[in-house]
Amino acid sequence: MSDKITTPREITFRVRRFDPDADSAPHWSEYRLDVHDGMTVLEALHQLKAEQEPTLSWRSSCRMGVCGSCGMFINDLPQLACQTQVLHLGTDVVTIAPLPNYDNVKDLVPNLEPLIEKHAAVKPYIIYLDQMEIDSPTGEFLQTPDEREAFSQFTFCIKCGLCLAACPTVATDPLFLGPQALAQAYRYTADNRDCGMKERIEAIDIFHGPYQCHLAGACSQACPKGVDPAFGIQLLKRALVLDSMGFGKKKSSVAKVVPLADVVKAIEEFAPPPRTVGK
Amino acid sequence: MRETRLWSLHLLVIPIIAVLLGLHFAVMHYAPVFYGVSVEEARNFETMIERGRSVAQLVLYILLLAAGLYHGLYGLRGILRELPLTPALAKFVDGGILLFGLFIFALGAYVTWWTFSYKIGG
Repeated sequence: MSDKITTPREITFRVRRFDPDADSAPHWSEYRLDVHDGMTVLEALHQLKAEQEPTLSWRSSCRMGVCGSCGMFINDLPQLACQTQVLHLGTDVVTIAPLPNYDNVKDLVPNLEPLIEKHAAVKPYIIYLDQMEIDSPTGEFLQTPDEREAFSQFTFCIKCGLCLAACPTVATDPLFLGPQALAQAYRYTADNRDCGMKERIEAIDIFHGPYQCHLAGACSQACPKGVDPAFGIQLLKRALVLDSMGFGKKKSSVAKVVPLADVVKAIEEFAPPPRTVGK
Repeated sequence: MRETRLWSLHLLVIPIIAVLLGLHFAVMHYAPVFYGVSVEEARNFETMIERGRSVAQLVLYILLLAAGLYHGLYGLRGILRELPLTPALAKFVDGGILLFGLFIFALGAYVTWWTFSYKIGG
């Protein structure tokens, strides 16, 4: 016999509401909804908006844990609304609030500007010093699975900002770069195609950088993609210490470049058949 | 200076503090155990001056003073800089702590040197 709940269960949703044009302070509103097995918090919000509260605001897009838009403070934990099933929360009352550690734009919409600004500050892209190769590439960079493994998990970050909402250091020090940006700084620094440590140092080797991490680990617990930003920060510390001692990466260690002609030839060999419509 | 160097130094001084503080305790607080003299005898003026006139004591205390001050003041700076400060105020905190540290170090080093160069009966 299956233990799945098949009959809908009435759940009370306590939603924190705030309209900057009408309210002087946030307040809580309660709604009741029959929740069936498998219904996510995001689906419940959609149903509440359709049937009970058309002015309810939140941010969402993909509904499958990829875009990172629907981060909310659900039952006092930062979670993605689209990945959180209501009945899995195990409570008859579900509280939903906007992510903490961010300004509140409206209802459940946080202002994610600090996340984006901190992310951009650490130059989250591969920096390759040979400008000629960037402007007129002569080939492609080869990367072995082992070289990729060095930073692989950090590439799964979807910039949802849950880690910053969970971080106790961000709560007390808003200038702290935070787990997202620091883990991304490590992701690119550890990439063997990159040699941008010197260009990133100005942004990351500061008081509000990795050394402000209090090692709470809440960021890693909150991450919906299984990334371990707390570990990334520790790896970044190691990279910075080695760099300060003169043992840092001086140049890109990417294995070799294959002559571009070979790549073009390979692409042509596997080219799709010619178009048959819309010629 | 790069934060990494400041942070690394505050970790590097920990073993120095542990060893030198251990020696300090052995000399000052466990004299009856290690030297077979009473605590009162270990702490009286003549004994302290006698100890203070050794080069080992001079080096030990100046190193302990520098390491302890650096470690402690780096921690204090960490607490103060977590407060919501303007960039100017943050610079003031950094500069103030540096000056305070240098002043205390100079004072402590002077006392240690004074003890080292004290002439008994002179």
